Amino acid sequence: MRHIIPKTYREALEHLKSGSLHILAGGTDLMVQNRAWSETPVAFKKDTLYVYNLEELRYIEREGDMLHVGALASYDMLERHPDTPSALKRCIALLASPGLRRVATLAGNIGNASPAADGVLVLYALDARVVLDSADATREIPIEEAITGPGRTAFEDGEMIREIRIPLEDFDSERFKKVGGRKADAISKVSFLGAAAFDGDVIKDLRLALGAVNTTVVRRREIEAQYQGLTAADLKARSQEIREAYAPYVRPIDDQRSTATYRRQVALNLIEDYIHSL
Amino acid sequence: MKKQDISRSIEKVDSREKISGAAAFTSDIKLDGMHYAKSVRSPIPRGRIKQVNLPSLPKGYVVVDHRDIPGENVVKMIHDDWPVFPKTEVAYIGEPILLVVGPDKEKVAELADAVEIEFEELEPTFGFTNSAIDLHYDKGDPDRAFETAARTVSYEYETGYQDQAYIEPQGFVGYLDEGTYTLVGSIQCPYYVKNAVLATMAADEDDVRVIQAPVGGAFGGKEEFPSLTATQLAVALRKVQKPIKFIYEREEDMIATTKRHPSKVRMEAALDENNNIQGLRAHVGLDGGAYLGLSGVVLSRGMLAATNAYTIDNVWVDGDVYVTNTVPNGAFRGFGAPQMIFAIEMFIHHVAKEVGEDTYTFRTRHQVSQGDLTSTGGVYRDPIILDEMSKKAEEISDYHRKRKEYEDPDTFKGIGMSWFLHGCGFTGSGEQEKIKARVKLKKDADGTVRILVAAVDMGQGPKTTFRKLVADVLDLPLEQVLFPYPDTRYVPDSGPTVASRTMMVVGGLLARAAKDLKESWREGEVQEAMQRYKQPDYIEWDQDRMKGDAYPAYSWGVNVVEVEVSKVTYEVDIKHVWSVYDLGKAIDERIVLGQADGGQAQGVVGLGYLEVMEHEGGALKQKNLTDYIIPTAVDMPKTENHIMDNPYPLGPYGAKGVGELTLVGGPPAVALAIEQAIGRRVRKAPVTPEYIMELIHNG
Ligand SMILES: Cc1cc2nc3c(=O)[nH]c(=O)nc-3n(C[C@H](O)[C@H](O)[C@H](O)COP(=O)(O)OP(=O)(O)OC[C@H]3O[C@@H](n4cnc5c(N)ncnc54)[C@H](O)[C@@H]3O)c2cc1C
Repeated sequence: MRHIIPKTYREALEHLKSGSLHILAGGTDLMVQNRAWSETPVAFKKDTLYVYNLEELRYIEREGDMLHVGALASYDMLERHPDTPSALKRCIALLASPGLRRVATLAGNIGNASPAADGVLVLYALDARVVLDSADATREIPIEEAITGPGRTAFEDGEMIREIRIPLEDFDSERFKKVGGRKADAISKVSFLGAAAFDGDVIKDLRLALGAVNTTVVRRREIEAQYQGLTAADLKARSQEIREAYAPYVRPIDDQRSTATYRRQVALNLIEDYIHSL
Repeated sequence: MKKQDISRSIEKVDSREKISGAAAFTSDIKLDGMHYAKSVRSPIPRGRIKQVNLPSLPKGYVVVDHRDIPGENVVKMIHDDWPVFPKTEVAYIGEPILLVVGPDKEKVAELADAVEIEFEELEPTFGFTNSAIDLHYDKGDPDRAFETAARTVSYEYETGYQDQAYIEPQGFVGYLDEGTYTLVGSIQCPYYVKNAVLATMAADEDDVRVIQAPVGGAFGGKEEFPSLTATQLAVALRKVQKPIKFIYEREEDMIATTKRHPSKVRMEAALDENNNIQGLRAHVGLDGGAYLGLSGVVLSRGMLAATNAYTIDNVWVDGDVYVTNTVPNGAFRGFGAPQMIFAIEMFIHHVAKEVGEDTYTFRTRHQVSQGDLTSTGGVYRDPIILDEMSKKAEEISDYHRKRKEYEDPDTFKGIGMSWFLHGCGFTGSGEQEKIKARVKLKKDADGTVRILVAAVDMGQGPKTTFRKLVADVLDLPLEQVLFPYPDTRYVPDSGPTVASRTMMVVGGLLARAAKDLKESWREGEVQEAMQRYKQPDYIEWDQDRMKGDAYPAYSWGVNVVEVEVSKVTYEVDIKHVWSVYDLGKAIDERIVLGQADGGQAQGVVGLGYLEVMEHEGGALKQKNLTDYIIPTAVDMPKTENHIMDNPYPLGPYGAKGVGELTLVGGPPAVALAIEQAIGRRVRKAPVTPEYIMELIHNG
């Protein structure tokens, strides 16, 4: 097994040309997934590219209405940064534990592509985009296209995330709810992000996203669009209908953390409850 | 000079070494030429071992299995069913079949992975069907009580697995010291380990030495299980003749070591025309797992708590331990009592509700008083201050007002109260007939006094409290009294560190030894003082019929828990826990409060609400600390504890048992609070959000 520690981003991309590598950022997923007997080396199954010390990628920059989050910006940096969207901050405050947040990254959250990933949920709701580089090309894709299934991404061999772009928008209402096995440091059984912007009394933007209830985050733009232009009162009157509109997309599983019935019920309750709060 | 009250807290003597990281736990030990051992485990719940195919072993690497055992292939406890290494059959997923031992860890791991075992799979048994131990006792004339009953009410209750989730997994380092098997490990009971190793190695008394290392938590999990790992390690030492480190990884620890028994308890009450309980029938079922271990004793402690803090004249209690092809269950703080107390506390409420009575009044009417007969016809001899305690608990929690307010179903809030007792020390004549505890104090010429007992500090405090106690009796500064880590070469067998007996029984003997030493103190001389356990004369216990005084003394407690349940996610916000304890006398108040917080974390929050462990076809689904959810600091409610003085004449300074008391009454208190919040009857703990949802939707 090779352990590659590139000095520059360019060098990292060159190495990626050579074939399939583990890319290790904070390592908080990779190290756990490849754990081995204590005092023995991590049981990586592939050669590993350690990108965690590439300072070039450790940035958060605002450019107009766009936030550029470098692949190595930690959650902790994001939590402290003045331009980080508040929805993302709410999520980070409940993600993992303070120690982990010092090293773990949003790029890693995307790369790991867990249906229960909390950061990814917020990125879906905020229309984030992912910038992928390879030695010879760059492309930018929406988050929905970056993640193709549980543990699966659309990244090609040779590509890695350089940055995540998050449009900065104002919402009049926002709710992040993480339902885990306990109040801190737990993987989500269900997660929810709701956000809405109003023009006077009229909804001009409604976003609803659910995590851990399907193979990827559930966000249905066509349903959201149907309710734009309504007043809050109209919307509330139709909360049951909205709940039902999401039902076909909420298809969770039974596992060691919860039951499908619970996840389904709670996910739909969260939607209905949020609509009522508007 | 007036002496300070012994309860006044001092700094725990081992806080600094633990907090700074200086304490050397078992895994920190490194010896020259040290080898490593790794278990190869059963992947199936039940089967016959047809063939073991070993990889070719490089020089210096060996496999250790049942053929290497010089003595009995039995982990010596109470029953003979638990093999050191299985010979022909495996009985649970994760059962260790053999060890691979060698000098390089990576190589050992690689070889262990390469061992192939062929099995003939057999039909596994699960659930509450295959009884291997059944116990019974009765009191009064239960048949008549039921025949003449105005009405009867019956309910069934369940509790789940609980893992001790100690920070430090199971482990030993072993070496041969001039032929003596020397085992240093994370243990609760040095002499259990020693006796088990003696039997397996067919060794002489002096050939086995067991030393306690600093222990990173145990909670019962290191009561019997280390006897298995220690015997395996001794067998390996004999074959390899090199020091060996044998430490479980977290997942091995979670799939293979003893847990709290899942339980099913059926309760039936016979009521007279005034709605008084004139008779009680109970059946207590415990899932014992693959091997019996201590399950029979756990069952008996559970059954003995059937009437909890209530006096009922006619009682019929049966219990069974069911053998299943799952991880063996065993000792865990409370030892069967939490399961039983959950059932009886919920039941008392459910009976009251069934007959339309106020639950508090109903309970009070059945509450025990001094002089009453216990469930087994023994006598509550000492003063019982439960009245005062429940009044105190009501007052500090504002129980009655809140109870009324939260009757409004729209609040989704609830408050619950549990009353409970815990028998201190071994059941029945165990102390007298089985344990026969001995303690020793040794004084050096310079006046330093050493405490020589086999009691283990696993975080609960005896390193501090024993020194404090002995120093106080001897009127010496704390620094002049030492308590070295128990080493069976030097310490007499003062019994295991279990059953809330450490301060009351071992501490009691130490206080008496200290008194003797004080009276015979001669400056400049080496002196020893010994004490041996003597059962109080009035104790009479018939083990076969389970009749008489099951315990010499009881500690008492009241927990009040307030919750709010989310209508949207069914999550419970446990807001506050108020507790009042009668543990005789606190030898150190802060240490007792530490036990209270920990007991409530494990009892109210853990067993009552958060901690879920289940198996599917014998495979545990939650096998690491990502999936097995234990409370974090933010999951802890506010706590308020009151310690009442009610000195027990035979305990040191009046002390009784503490450690388990603070856990056993937690689950029903939180369950009753949730019951009120959701307006449904709760019959299962933990009361998870999933279960709450089910109750709300299906009643
Ligand atoms: C105790 C604990 C608690 C946790 N709690 C939470 C939680 O509450 N919510 C949650 O969502 N997650 C949680 N996690 C999971 C984990 O911390 C997050 O998924 C985190 O965002 C991963 O980031 P990382 O930098 O550590 O990723 P790494 O482990 O370094 O990588 C994860 C994956 O992403 C890939 N990757 C990393 N960087 C790039 C890149 N630049 N380009 C392409 N691929 C890349 C890696 O190859 C790997 O497949 C927890 C983990 C632990 C250990």
